[in-house]
Amino acid sequence: MYQWLDERLDLGRLNAKLFRKVFPVHHTFFLGEITLFSFIVLVLTGVFLTLNYEPSTQLVKVEGLTDPVQAAYASILYIDSLPFGAVIRSVHHWSAHIMIAAAFLHLLRILLSGAYKKPRELNWIIGILMLVVTIVVAFLGYALPYDNYAITATRIGHGIAESVPWVGVAVAQIMFGGDFPGSSHNIPRLYSLHVLWMPLVLMGLIGLHLLIMIKQKHTQPKYAEKVAPGKILGVPALPQQGLMSGVLFLVFVAVVFLIGGGFLAHPVEAYGPLSANTPNVKPDWYFLWIYGLLKIIPSSFEFTIPLFNGGKFGPEFWGGVVIPSILLVGAILIPFFSFTEGNVKQRYLELPSRHPRRTSLTIAGLMFLIMCTMAGYIGDPGMEWLTISRAWLLIIVVPIVTYFVSFWIMRAIWGETWQKEPEIELIVGGGQAPRA
Amino acid sequence: MADQEAKLEHEIHAHEDEDPAVHATRRAVLQAAIGVGVAGTLLSTLYVGAGLVPKKVVTPENEPLAAGDILVYAQGDNKDKPISPADLKLGGPQTIAYPMNPKTNVVKGGDPNNTVLVVKLEPSRLSPATAKDAAGGIVAYSGVCKHLGCIVSNWEASTEDFVCPCHQGHYDPANGGKVVSGPPPKPIPQLPIKVENNQIIATAFFVAEPGKEV
Ligand code: HEM
Ligand code: FES
Repeated sequence: MYQWLDERLDLGRLNAKLFRKVFPVHHTFFLGEITLFSFIVLVLTGVFLTLNYEPSTQLVKVEGLTDPVQAAYASILYIDSLPFGAVIRSVHHWSAHIMIAAAFLHLLRILLSGAYKKPRELNWIIGILMLVVTIVVAFLGYALPYDNYAITATRIGHGIAESVPWVGVAVAQIMFGGDFPGSSHNIPRLYSLHVLWMPLVLMGLIGLHLLIMIKQKHTQPKYAEKVAPGKILGVPALPQQGLMSGVLFLVFVAVVFLIGGGFLAHPVEAYGPLSANTPNVKPDWYFLWIYGLLKIIPSSFEFTIPLFNGGKFGPEFWGGVVIPSILLVGAILIPFFSFTEGNVKQRYLELPSRHPRRTSLTIAGLMFLIMCTMAGYIGDPGMEWLTISRAWLLIIVVPIVTYFVSFWIMRAIWGETWQKEPEIELIVGGGQAPRA
Repeated sequence: MADQEAKLEHEIHAHEDEDPAVHATRRAVLQAAIGVGVAGTLLSTLYVGAGLVPKKVVTPENEPLAAGDILVYAQGDNKDKPISPADLKLGGPQTIAYPMNPKTNVVKGGDPNNTVLVVKLEPSRLSPATAKDAAGGIVAYSGVCKHLGCIVSNWEASTEDFVCPCHQGHYDPANGGKVVSGPPPKPIPQLPIKVENNQIIATAFFVAEPGKEV
């Protein structure tokens, strides 16, 4: 069998070329893999859902409910009634959370260890695009259950899309299939984007990301330079790395099913179908910071450029589009602002402690997101102390203070020596070769 | 064979050398052809792409509110039944309503922009402009938040304000739906009403365009 295939496909060469490629090992390298695993779980559970979901807002009668409800909502009730149906839905939702969280942590790892530097700028950009696309897919899927909560959340997204000057209304009409809610095209449009087109885009990006990674080789911990200068220290893709990943995948699946089964996500029955009133919604955690910004930007932040029709720059546009876009563009540009290294290619991980400016900036950026997230809780019971002006103060002051405190602490601990690479003592006798 | 090719090439070059003007024109024609092709493709793509914007279909359920419509309960046990003024509690909270066509009895709940908030306040609290479009202490407003389009369905009893659950926009029903606090850019427009036969009836369209401010 192997020989038959080998004669036709030259498996031996594939094995030697690709599967024996060496991968360095470090626990933070698994963050990217966890992102990939969540995507695989999303596709598998998503396929199950598509086979039972009905993308329509036609009113249908459901046994046990007096008023007719939309077919999409009814089909979710049906899915929930299937054996493990509710669990599959819950796992789909939880994997979305995990995918976004893992992608974000993966990005932080790359940032803090300097792995985005030349020659890996392209993969840094692709990585950020993937994070954005993933969040967009999650948003587009959110309305599909068509319960009152999901509809309200999506309606806010529709409003933000419409707030873009000049083009916003057209963009929103195309993305949401008309006014949301209220158009019979809403759910079919969102459905097709969510289950087909955006996942395809994501798959393309993932493929590109991995190809580039294999071509450029992985960065590796610094000790590898001492042990085997100029070489990559790690384990072969197959069988060792594959086995590790396989085991990790199984553990991952076990854990998401445990979480998904134990804590059912998005109980549509509790929210009920579309109704005239608005429930008290909060978006999922990864949107909370934008939601916080929307709450604190006052209505006076508005001006109109009376050119053509609709040049309005309103508060929703600033909070929902401009600030996130600035952060996004800033993140994309990071690799082009690293002056520290010369023209050398980055092959080894950098220690966060050796780059106090970058590390402190990263922590300050996180603080900014956390403070904005906190602003999302303005007006909640128990949060009366948080006024809009205090939220502004925190958002501006805390990141700045954080930067200086973090910088100062790192300097106090590592002194002026941070530019020097740490001395690594070799214990074994193997790696005495002179430095390349 | 190779000789021939070389000769051919030589001839082509010789030809070009002979008359550079011909060469330049040929290049211009080619470039123009490519340009026209690309532009045509883009234009036709846009034309096809315009089909991605759905057509608005007007049905009896999503026709805009009109003068003479009767306000009915949008939800609850009395859904689709006319709101009787006596059932409104003084000092709120608001009741969410849809307009009903008095001739066909079709409830126009298909368009969220038809959502109406009805609330009964102390008549002396109403500003003169608001009182003009009110029926006694009963006032009606568009229910769609001017900020991002949520239905303004919460009520702050201490200040007698409408509150939008989405980003805590506060509107004052005694003062033309003025924004008291929060992000909404404009007041929610008032709906002129009268009370007749124990029903609440719209006497005109909203005083301004309802719906999220675009
Ligand atoms: C790529 C990343 C994906 C993310 C982040 C994601 C996220 C989500 C989210 C947040 C929901 C709402 C679930 C709920 O509230 O119950 C949802 C629903 C849904 N998704 Fe996905 N999804 C992804 C991929 C897919 C794929 C590839 C498919 C199909 C092949 C799919 C099919 C569905 C279906 C049918 C629903 C509606 C059923 C339901 O809401 O339970 N999804 N998705
Ligand atoms: S949608 Fe009403 S305050 Fe934002």
